[in-house]
Amino acid sequence: MVAAPTAMDTGRWFEDFAVGERFTSAGRPVTADDLAAFTRLSGDDHPLHAGPGAMLQGPFGIAVAMGLMQSLGLHGEAVQGLLDTHWHYRAPIRVGDVLHLELMILRARRTRSGTRGTVTRHMRLVGDDGATRQEGTTTALVAARTSGPDDDGRAFGTVGWGRAVVDALDPETAAVLETWDGTIGLRCDDDEVHLRVYRGAVIDVSRRAPHGATFTLVADAATWLELVEAPDNPLLRLAMTGRVSATGDGYEYLRLTRALHLIVDAARAIA
Amino acid sequence: MTGYRSVDDTFAFVEDHGDPASPALLCLHTAGQSGVQWRHVVPGLVEAGHRVVVPDLPGHGRSEPAPGGPVDDLGAYAGWLLALADALGLDRFAVAGCSIGGKIALDLAVRASDRLTAVVAMAADAWTGGSPSPRGLRRELVDVAAPSRADRTELGTLAVVGRATDPERARLIAAMHRREDPVVSNSDLLGWASHDLRERLGEVSCPLHLVVGADDLWLDVERVRWAASRIPGARCTVLDGVGHYPMEEIPGFAAVLDGWLRDLTTGTEAA
Repeated sequence: MVAAPTAMDTGRWFEDFAVGERFTSAGRPVTADDLAAFTRLSGDDHPLHAGPGAMLQGPFGIAVAMGLMQSLGLHGEAVQGLLDTHWHYRAPIRVGDVLHLELMILRARRTRSGTRGTVTRHMRLVGDDGATRQEGTTTALVAARTSGPDDDGRAFGTVGWGRAVVDALDPETAAVLETWDGTIGLRCDDDEVHLRVYRGAVIDVSRRAPHGATFTLVADAATWLELVEAPDNPLLRLAMTGRVSATGDGYEYLRLTRALHLIVDAARAIA
Repeated sequence: MTGYRSVDDTFAFVEDHGDPASPALLCLHTAGQSGVQWRHVVPGLVEAGHRVVVPDLPGHGRSEPAPGGPVDDLGAYAGWLLALADALGLDRFAVAGCSIGGKIALDLAVRASDRLTAVVAMAADAWTGGSPSPRGLRRELVDVAAPSRADRTELGTLAVVGRATDPERARLIAAMHRREDPVVSNSDLLGWASHDLRERLGEVSCPLHLVVGADDLWLDVERVRWAASRIPGARCTVLDGVGHYPMEEIPGFAAVLDGWLRDLTTGTEAA
């Protein structure tokens, strides 16, 4: 057991990150010196990165995003390393831009050892004009202060979360599923949980039902967050705009529209 | 007089309120629905001095089906409405419509501007870009392919009602919309997705106002603005907090619509 740290000195421990937390950094102007220094550092002197209107090299954005994150004071001695970066370049960064970092905690999972966890952050670099320049996710390994347990309310797609959702289902759900025999999959990025349903009752919650899922409701972590945080249950709105989709038996997916709405209601109740 | 009448071989139900000598206003409903959508608006419009004609389009509400079965060409509805206007002795009249009713109003403006004193086309553009997918819509013309249709209509309606709508009112709108005949509304939507007025907008010579709710997932505001830019003198209004059904969502909508119509017929600049 590590002595309780002071937050200012050490930043946060694994338990201190709550899925859905949001942070915004101060602005960071992009200067001609930045362009020259990054060109020297990377050796990328393609004509795109020279002259008036030059674009900064793409990875400059990642580097700045990491620096702006550091300025938020979230990470101190508990952070042990960076595990991955998934990045999208939406618009060029040019000299004169003022970049802000908008950061949201997307996912926090304890590792099997129990002594640390992975924290995935959605990071968006936004210009003063409000337009996104670059965005993506990065995952860090962070030491834990305790050995858990952790709250499952936002551990979308895990078995623990699936059980909590089932416990929170409105009794109406049983009536809606009274004629149904199948398995509902709920997926968040790489995490999927199966709810085995027979005659209105959820008889098992597992990583994978023996016959697999009849269909799986699929959304990424940011979309699951919106599902549980929006003022009203936005399932149909997000399905209509393609942010929530389904794999497997499309007929049964449509047939269970109301049941899925109730499942999302339950997910909202425990989030 | 409100009641049934034969129009183009369809025995149809047509509400007709107010002084027969007053300027006439034709109010058109959305896909699969009926004139009942205008029930809370009619008294205020009559009060404001309009003769208000609210037909149930062929196959909708209390009207019998069109002789050829469900209609999937919005132009056919426009032709039918001109025959209705003839039967009622309306030489010149105003039109307000929403969704397919808005697009039919736009079609009427293209084909019969000389008979129209004013057109308010709500929740409509000149071309949807082919969405929703006609292939999917055709597939769901077969009842067996369209599970949980009533639930999907109710929840799908709630998804496109604007955020400013009182929740109780939103639930009422969705409950009323559940009543539709899926084959009729899918045929309407086929008409919606395939009707292309882009090349003919320049032919409109009557005063016209396009209105779209900012929360309307069915419409791309830019497409509506584009349509307005192609129609000589057209106005375009985007309503914050409003979704796909302004006449059902907005309290006191009769006064709002009456104001738009007055601005169009007197040539007053929109605020």
